[in-house]
Amino acid sequence: MTHSAKPIHVRFVPGTVVVIVSILLLTFSAAAQSKTAHKSRSARAVKPDPVRAVNAEEMQALLKRDGKHPLLVNYWATWCDPCRDEFPDLVKIDRDYRAKGLDFIAISLDDLVDIKTAVPKFLLAMNAKMPVYLLNVADPEPAINMVDKDWSGAMPATFLYDNKGKVVYKHFGRVNPGELRAAIEKLVDSKQ
Amino acid sequence: MKKLAAVSLMIAMLAVALLVNARPLVADTPAPPIIGSTIADFTLPDASGTAHTLASLHGKNGTVLIFIATQCPVSNGYNERMEKLAQDFKARGINVVGINANSTESAADVKDHAAKNNLTFPILKDNGNKVADMLGATRTPEAYFLDASSKLLYHGRIDNSRDITQVNSSELRDALEATLAGKPVPKATANAFGCSIKRGAE
Repeated sequence: MTHSAKPIHVRFVPGTVVVIVSILLLTFSAAAQSKTAHKSRSARAVKPDPVRAVNAEEMQALLKRDGKHPLLVNYWATWCDPCRDEFPDLVKIDRDYRAKGLDFIAISLDDLVDIKTAVPKFLLAMNAKMPVYLLNVADPEPAINMVDKDWSGAMPATFLYDNKGKVVYKHFGRVNPGELRAAIEKLVDSKQ
Repeated sequence: MKKLAAVSLMIAMLAVALLVNARPLVADTPAPPIIGSTIADFTLPDASGTAHTLASLHGKNGTVLIFIATQCPVSNGYNERMEKLAQDFKARGINVVGINANSTESAADVKDHAAKNNLTFPILKDNGNKVADMLGATRTPEAYFLDASSKLLYHGRIDNSRDITQVNSSELRDALEATLAGKPVPKATANAFGCSIKRGAE
């Protein structure tokens, strides 16, 4: 679990090129970051879209793919510490890959009473822009089994689907952002 | 010298690349044992450090093992229900045993948490996730009901909701009642949302 993100991106490139590319990337990302920081400051007043409650069937429909875009899905809750811990990484991933064609939805397992309070409050603090839904079911089991037969319902859980709806990456527990980005890169690259 | 350094660097990078590629897509928690299989005996310390075997904790009609946490709101939502289950079934020969396998929660935390929440059933500390791995446990709370011969009869949630007012199916209790009545367990597995077990080295 201690692999850093870097080797994944650069693994097949000879040493010298890596150094040059890294310097270039760092320069660009620093510039991009200051730009985004500026943007988000002015965008902070704009509230994200309201969180919509869905049942199991509606959630299943959200996971359907039409052959165009890969989809990242994160199951989380405000009461789940590792979910909160990994959320900034997911917000960054959304920001970095949405323009490249990655769809990303977050599905909250919070209680329905929190849909207008704790959930949007957390999303606003995270500056999260992806669509967020709240799964509202009396019995969670059919939804869990529909998503993945290997999933016990342990949170957080993250699934990456290709544009045909096939699961190409899944992770239970806090994600390793480098690992997840590497899996996304394969999908957004293969589209071009 | 320079050439040697470059070659070593390339070898090191290749090794990293191979390692990264060799990693499975899912963190490999072992699969849980199938219903009907016999669970091997194990030894774990309780929060005070006293070692217990599974065999020594068995009730005459079986044992419920529940993976619990001190910090997980879902697990904590079940504290009263778990204690009541332990009280209700003790006299009927089924013992409830908690297991804390979170590397982030110490034996002292477990002891303190049990005292604060009036949990009177034994709670074992599974350092290094030995038993969590053996049982394929992934979340808290997650329950296993074994008969007196350690045969697994039920694995899964306690009931359908962490909010006690929303409970309308109690699979664990139903499994115990059915077994005590000499009937087959009506539903042998059921899932629910819960906190991930924080695995770690011993």
